Amino acid sequence: MAGAWRAAGHEAPRIAYGASSALARQADAGAPAQLFLSADLDWIDWLARRRHLAAPPVRLLANDLVLIAPAASRVEVRIAPGFDLARALAGGRLAVADPRAVPAGRYARAALESLGAWKGVQPRLAPAGDVRAALALVARGEAPLGIVYRTDALAEPRVKVVATFPEASHPPIVYGMALLDGAGPEARAFAEYAASPPARTVWARHGFRFP
Amino acid sequence: MLSGEELGIVVLSLEVALASVAASLPVAIAVAWLLARRDFPGKTALDALVHLPLVLPPVVVGYLLLVVLGGNGVLGPALASVGVVFAFRWTGAALAAAVMSFPLVVRAVRLSMEAIDPRIEAAGRTLGARPWRVFATLTLPLAWPGIVTGALLGFARSLGEFGATITFVASIPGETETLPLAIYAYTQVPGAEGHALRLSILSVILSLAALAVSEWLVRRRPGAARDA
Amino acid sequence: MLEVDIRVRRGAFRLEGAFRSDAPIVALFGRSGSGKSTIVEAIAGLLRPDAGHIRVGGRTLFDAGRDIDLTPEARRVGCVFQDALLFPHLSVRGNLAYGERLTPAAERFVDRERVLSLLGLAPLLERRPATLSGGEKQRVALGRTLLASPRLLLLDEPLAALDAPRKAEILGYIELLRDNLRLPMVYVSHAVEEVTRLADRLVLVSDGRTLAEGDVAEILSRADLKPHTGRFEAGAVIDARVARHDEKYGLTTLAFDGGELVVPNVDALPGEPVRARIRSRDVALALERPRAASFQNVLEATVEGIGGEFGAIVEVALRVGPTPLAARITRESAERLELAAGKRVFALVKAIAIDRRSVGYA
Repeated sequence: MAGAWRAAGHEAPRIAYGASSALARQADAGAPAQLFLSADLDWIDWLARRRHLAAPPVRLLANDLVLIAPAASRVEVRIAPGFDLARALAGGRLAVADPRAVPAGRYARAALESLGAWKGVQPRLAPAGDVRAALALVARGEAPLGIVYRTDALAEPRVKVVATFPEASHPPIVYGMALLDGAGPEARAFAEYAASPPARTVWARHGFRFP
Repeated sequence: MLSGEELGIVVLSLEVALASVAASLPVAIAVAWLLARRDFPGKTALDALVHLPLVLPPVVVGYLLLVVLGGNGVLGPALASVGVVFAFRWTGAALAAAVMSFPLVVRAVRLSMEAIDPRIEAAGRTLGARPWRVFATLTLPLAWPGIVTGALLGFARSLGEFGATITFVASIPGETETLPLAIYAYTQVPGAEGHALRLSILSVILSLAALAVSEWLVRRRPGAARDA
Repeated sequence: MLEVDIRVRRGAFRLEGAFRSDAPIVALFGRSGSGKSTIVEAIAGLLRPDAGHIRVGGRTLFDAGRDIDLTPEARRVGCVFQDALLFPHLSVRGNLAYGERLTPAAERFVDRERVLSLLGLAPLLERRPATLSGGEKQRVALGRTLLASPRLLLLDEPLAALDAPRKAEILGYIELLRDNLRLPMVYVSHAVEEVTRLADRLVLVSDGRTLAEGDVAEILSRADLKPHTGRFEAGAVIDARVARHDEKYGLTTLAFDGGELVVPNVDALPGEPVRARIRSRDVALALERPRAASFQNVLEATVEGIGGEFGAIVEVALRVGPTPLAARITRESAERLELAAGKRVFALVKAIAIDRRSVGYA
């Protein structure tokens, strides 16, 4: 997105990547951020409560939760209520981002719980530090299955999508964008651009949907 | 005072740290002796290799461990066939901690060995002691303070090990979720600072206790410490 | 019988050393850095020569040609160093027992009680090395090495780190050991008093080469070796026997080949051989026998030669009968007395000058 923005002739935005929690705390402590993009709406609300937002947040993008396996794997799983995910693991572990802490993990847990598969796989989890680490575990073949975002799965050639979790099985994975206190005109313009139709083609190419 | 879950995390952390020290100490003593007393082609390379975990980002070390010793790694299947499994097990957490703390242990032991006058060891040999006996009866006792310091450093480093552990064996409660990993998880949840703080205080108490034990151990050993 | 014939090269340092000795003590004498310690290290097995052989009592410790190189622990050669090198984490008792325990019972020929009493170690047993004085440390080091029942004892400058009173004390202990234990010793030193007191046989080491070997008195008197035996130590060493004691005045008369010497009381029985060192600075010359002077020793001597004529001081080589002696006087005096080779003179030596330190028991 930043690339496209720059190609349109604007100054490249500086992007700070990190966990939503860390970034939110940094913004709270006074870091000079003007725009906050996060999949964790809780943290955006947290910032709102502490009065750091310049305007109400916008729901920008949506994502899907997918079940992945190493590219060479032959496993077949059909996601349906009551499906036996534990058996599909065949003794291996399910790589997910830590369900206690990371949004991707929390979505995964919610989806599995609503489908009645959580109890079965809970003892067989491999809770990774973040969703990319979970992705790496599956890519390396350390875990036979994993749950990540579609956008992550598409970015990694060594994994393939085995199935997609139904939208109804988990809270919507929505990316909020919020302008922070003290945001300048460049920031506001960028925010507008990110939500515009030309931008959507770029987003869609990477696997995002729109809420 | 401590919830059952918290107690479990502490016990696991202690197990992992103690296993890490138990595994790395003998190897560190051997490597320290080689670096302190012997000259050989490739000595500089060995020295650099030993210090690698100090300079590499922990996540990189964790990733390398995954590549080599993961279930699907270079040596993983071979080791698994003889019953040695690191992937997603507390043994993996202990290994990650051992690798990360290895350079600290080697440095401490090596320093104390280099401080021993080599002529003392020569005197032992002229009195009839074979090299192994010289090592066991002269070198080790005289290097004792350094060994204890190394063990303490290794233990403390292992208690605090995070990056390599979470990358190598993830954060599986009851299996690989050590204190640092648990604390980190709690800091990720908005409003759970209280839990994180409790566990942090526990970490500090454990480290102080380790320090006290090491002081006691150094003093208990007659000769080297008292004459210093 | 100790046979050493080795060549060592370490970078720029070269050593060629060869000597044989049957004597109770053979001294390796030479300046610091001459290579004495290297020879000792080679005998002990702590250093491997590049060529040659080392044999002790018929047993080959090292032979480059036959690829024999016994490990230090297999050689049964004991070492005592300048710094006692006691094990700091063990008590004196522990140190003493270290080598003793490693010696198989069949090889043990040193009597523990004897060594302890000879060296006065009993009161020190429970002490720790760090609390001992320099002299005490050396005694423990000697005891520790002896209790390992070595077949040869190497002493590498054992007195160098001690002050004068301690030196005398430990020297006495070493003499005791020499006389009471039938254990061949190699004594390394750059100090003439030590060498003349202790050894019969001397090997002169200089600049990485063994220059000469032979009788102590003879080597030290040889003019051609003077540059190596050291000018400031200049003197003569005389082999003598105790003739009689004067109880009333506490004096002893020593008889040597060419005359008699009166010295302060020497602790030896009449007939026993001793060796006396007379520094050339303590010898004065006269053309006539002084009639009323305090000199106890007035020896008839013949001038053999005069050295060092360009400075203020000259060294006059003399012979008292067949025995060499040297006198150091001013050049002015030498010219005034018209000293020349062949001239008969009287050598005047104060008895006080030949003190306890200068007399050794052979």
